[in-house]
Amino acid sequence: MHKVLGTVLLCTWLSLLVPLFLVQTIYPRDLLELHPPPPTKSGDFTYRSRASEVRLVFFATDEHNRRVEKLQRDDFAVIDNGWVIRNFRSFTSASLIKLDVTVLIDSSESVQPRFHQEITDVLAMISQWPWEPGDNISVLSFSGMDVHALCTGNCRYWLTADRAASLRNGGATPLFDAVITATNSVTAHRQPDIWPVIILFSDGNDTISKATFHAAIRKVIASEEQIYTVDLGDPRRPSDGTAVLRKMANDSGGRFLSLSDGPVKILNDVMDDLHSGLLVTYAPPEFSSGFHSIQILPTHNLSLQFRCRRGYYDHYSGSARQEDGP
Amino acid sequence: MKRAFLFILAFCNLPILLVAQIGMYQHGSVVRMHMGDCMLAHHGMTVAFGPPAIPSQDSCPEYTLVSTNVVYVIVGKSSNQLIPLSEVIDFRLHRNELAVRVDDAKRETKFTIKEMFVRSDWERVQHHIEAEMKAAEVREAER
Repeated sequence: MHKVLGTVLLCTWLSLLVPLFLVQTIYPRDLLELHPPPPTKSGDFTYRSRASEVRLVFFATDEHNRRVEKLQRDDFAVIDNGWVIRNFRSFTSASLIKLDVTVLIDSSESVQPRFHQEITDVLAMISQWPWEPGDNISVLSFSGMDVHALCTGNCRYWLTADRAASLRNGGATPLFDAVITATNSVTAHRQPDIWPVIILFSDGNDTISKATFHAAIRKVIASEEQIYTVDLGDPRRPSDGTAVLRKMANDSGGRFLSLSDGPVKILNDVMDDLHSGLLVTYAPPEFSSGFHSIQILPTHNLSLQFRCRRGYYDHYSGSARQEDGP
Repeated sequence: MKRAFLFILAFCNLPILLVAQIGMYQHGSVVRMHMGDCMLAHHGMTVAFGPPAIPSQDSCPEYTLVSTNVVYVIVGKSSNQLIPLSEVIDFRLHRNELAVRVDDAKRETKFTIKEMFVRSDWERVQHHIEAEMKAAEVREAER
């Protein structure tokens, strides 16, 4: 009786173990043989990736254009390509992030009457800025056919009045080329925890760039930089250049300022902005490469106003389609 | 004077309070929003059956509002007719329009209904679109 019971138990165990053994050993090999990997030449691999997170710096103001001190993460929603995002991965103050500031100085012929004031403002801004230990500042100037990198990385004490006086000036205005050069320079040493900002002093009247205005804007948006434009033109007579500078500032989420406001106001406005910046991160809502438009809207208080860049590029396989631009 | 003012205020808010108390509001969530053409909101049925209209320069907010069983695409009547995009909003259907209660405020804002879908159909279409987009991206990347 016990022998029969033992045999039955043994058979039961075997009937369980044998299929398990077959699945563990034979099946994966068969599976690999049935579905072999596609033939590739040695080293001919394709790596695909897409943006897994969108990082967005933005600014919130109330109906009196004053900064909102205590904004909560459920006070706003991001509209990404029309999709409403309320579920954020993180929400912090952007002032905690290190700054990578590039100052772009227009030293072309068209700004010569105001060049001295321009340089004075740049010097004042750099010297009075409350730099944090990890912050970077680079200074570039542009005139003639060239963009000159005057100092990169740590230029807090480099630009002096003597050095500024010896700057090459005169000639044409390669504004768009300069913006692209500055963007490339920032992108080359870009780190995720750095907030890239360009402060552009110019009259906005490009005369010689190889790049177009749209190419420059596209580059700025793709690199997620913010541009603060300081208009060197006459505020009583707005020109095409003023419109160009406004568009650059608006599309990148920065601000348009005028040289006539004076160095103190320019510095305060930029500083206030950078201190009141907020950073939100979220997963992109849809599977589409190319340009994603962004807007931020309130979830409760309709009097709140939000400012951010106009969008971002979701690069699939590392390429952004040219026709999808903003 | 103060009493009269309070009476008028209470009288004006009565319909909304009544609706809220009766529980006529449905709940939904806005999942999409974009600025679109105002023509539908401005002209209503005359667009479909009247003479061709001159395209409007204005853009009006268009929302996709998902409720328990139905998905509504609604259009505002002006560019500044925005609704707060909170997780859940209260709305009710009123004379071919959709009235949204603006958060906790005691007022409503009315939208033209552009389209309506059964929710399950809408979700199926969305999944299909997403799958198509994924496939197109992969095809493009492989090219």
